[in-house]
Amino acid sequence: MSKKPPRYIWVPLIIALISVPAGFIYVNWNKGGEGAGLYSRQWLPEAIFAYWNPKEFYQSVDTVVGEFSGEQCIECHSALTPGIVNDWKKSLHSQLSEKVFCNDCHGSNHEQLHMPTPDVCGSCHTTQHEQFQDEKRFGFPSHALAMERALDAKHFVDKPKAEVTACLQCHSVATKCDSCHTRHKFSAAEARRPEACLTCHSGPPHPDDETYFHSKHGQLYLAEGETWDWSKPLRKGNYPAPTCAYCHMDEGKHQVANKSIWKFGIKQINPLTSGNEIKRKQWINLCSDCHEADWSEDRLKEMDKERKRAWNKLYLAEKILKELRADNYLYPLAKERPPYPTDSAKDLMQYERIGFFEGQASAFYNTSAIERDYFEMWYFENLAAYKGSAHGDPSFIIKGHDAMDKSLEKIKRKAEKLHTLGEDEKDKGRRENPEKLWFNGEYTEYNREHN
Amino acid sequence: MLACFCHFLFLMQRCGATENIANANCRCGFTYVRQIFYIFIVSMFSSQVFADKNIVPTSIISENKVCIQCHENENKQLINDWRNSAHAKIIPVVDCISCHGGIHEDAVVKSRHDQTCIPCHGGKEASVVHSYSSSKHGTLMKLEKNSYDWNLPFVLANYRAPGCGYCHMHKSNHNVSTTVRHDLMNDLETKYVTDSMSTVCQDCHSPRYISRLFSNGEGMLEIARKKYREANNLIEQATTEFGAEKLATANRQLMKMQQHLRNVYLGAGHQSPDYQWWHGQPALDGDLLRIKDNLGELRRLGK
Repeated sequence: MSKKPPRYIWVPLIIALISVPAGFIYVNWNKGGEGAGLYSRQWLPEAIFAYWNPKEFYQSVDTVVGEFSGEQCIECHSALTPGIVNDWKKSLHSQLSEKVFCNDCHGSNHEQLHMPTPDVCGSCHTTQHEQFQDEKRFGFPSHALAMERALDAKHFVDKPKAEVTACLQCHSVATKCDSCHTRHKFSAAEARRPEACLTCHSGPPHPDDETYFHSKHGQLYLAEGETWDWSKPLRKGNYPAPTCAYCHMDEGKHQVANKSIWKFGIKQINPLTSGNEIKRKQWINLCSDCHEADWSEDRLKEMDKERKRAWNKLYLAEKILKELRADNYLYPLAKERPPYPTDSAKDLMQYERIGFFEGQASAFYNTSAIERDYFEMWYFENLAAYKGSAHGDPSFIIKGHDAMDKSLEKIKRKAEKLHTLGEDEKDKGRRENPEKLWFNGEYTEYNREHN
Repeated sequence: MLACFCHFLFLMQRCGATENIANANCRCGFTYVRQIFYIFIVSMFSSQVFADKNIVPTSIISENKVCIQCHENENKQLINDWRNSAHAKIIPVVDCISCHGGIHEDAVVKSRHDQTCIPCHGGKEASVVHSYSSSKHGTLMKLEKNSYDWNLPFVLANYRAPGCGYCHMHKSNHNVSTTVRHDLMNDLETKYVTDSMSTVCQDCHSPRYISRLFSNGEGMLEIARKKYREANNLIEQATTEFGAEKLATANRQLMKMQQHLRNVYLGAGHQSPDYQWWHGQPALDGDLLRIKDNLGELRRLGK
């Protein structure tokens, strides 16, 4: 006689059997709307998004009727858009024995033109395309997942579209190849230069440009890069100093994030997991093109130490904020902040998001000032130090850590103030209502209705 | 030609031609008598006015008026455009020599490079220059500038990536002021790019793409203005409540907002994602919430 299994086994089992498929169906249902991504039912694209995410949103112009051959395209467009034609003439596409014409990528019917997606380029450039898609398995941050990441982010969907177009200019690296191989020359040599990366890899959260150019590697590039032969593949002996692509796309591999250990520096990771040990070996192997293995290993260890120092500071700030949250001393509280267009589950999920795992990435707007201070400490100053550390620029390590120390002091002082004010109000039993300040105003009211 | 014809008649008259010719009207509207006077006066001040087009100054030119003497005859529109531009109205004046240098030989080719504009516009680090150099156009220019033929004029995509001059002085437009917006807070002037600029992009990009990009840029700038106005209104209300002195911190933050608003404009104009975003919109969000925090603190303390 078999015994009936105890309740603590079958109850969770049934719950799992129901909730997992239900969750799966719910997520897929959400993605099935007219827009794209997790919020496809609440959010529709702006006209310009067609060019950033052509696969999802592009629709052909219908101003010109007819089917055209490649030569015919060139004939008209030499006068209409000479820049495009000039570029194409300089490209390898036009110099092949079997030329790749406009219509090979855009289609021949002018009323049903398409904007080439990576799949279109991948129909010839199979290796690169496969590698690029393969990058997805390394998770975010990665190029191949960049568009999904943007469209699935609540803070992207909540903000007015005209505002967040700025995001897609970089996140479209997942949906079109010309982010790096600019149209219509599509030059591999151009994409090998560090400048090809820096339109996106610059600015406060990822000063890759400054940290690389400050480093010895970057200084060598600035001094002699003009004279290097950029047509050569990215491999040992071909370049006197490494560039972005030399290290992150060694041998021309398009899985750019394949060796990423610290994941952009946005969360603390264990650098010594078995998976990361493999990546460390890959790095040391790569550095060995020029350096001794022991030396390279020491540099990685230094970076681990720097990261630990940074996270110790960040956790101190996080602790202060979480204490304030526990005491309800943040001002305004999450429930006192204006709602956003996609806040359907607002009353269920209301809490101040502190730390990476609570969704702090959205904490740059509509938060209290002290949370924003922590956001900047985490996302700007910490990442500046990280990039300095990773690219060999001591000035940014110092700058980043100095800024973090200052921010920590600022957060401490502000927390004391909030504590005193909060306690005072508790004693008096009367709290100044933040609604008047935080709920009204031109932008806040506009954003309540418009995303 | 016209000038030659007049001079020919002028010589005839000198040689004793009839009175009738002297009183007849030349095509250029001067009577011959007046023309003689004109030529006499001009020749008093300049030896260059009679110069053939092919004879160009070989010595170093040190004064703007030397350039204008000849070039006003050659291309009056160009000189007038410059006179109407901010370059001619500011002090010190940005004159021909400021950009073209004093050596006539390579005056045009030299001035087409971005380095001509950068020193006055704040240098490499300034937001107006950095917003361009961090754009795709700017990075391509950095990589390819040595391969371009700088003898070519700023038309028809002669340059793969546009530099400062390609857009702001397209077709040799010397009134650069027609290509930039001045009052960023004026929402009646809804276009963040002026009409004279909108045709430039068509050398390389499709009209639909351009119009969508522009309308998006206008939207982006209007959002930035909304944030600024929200903050400004709050500060104005608070000033009557608390007095101007207590609002020094908030006002300092408001001044930062002006800078960040300008960054959005520069980011949209120069197509720099960083300036539209990190130096622009989220920076404005931070300013706005810090102003609200500051005013909130005043209210809580004031109770």
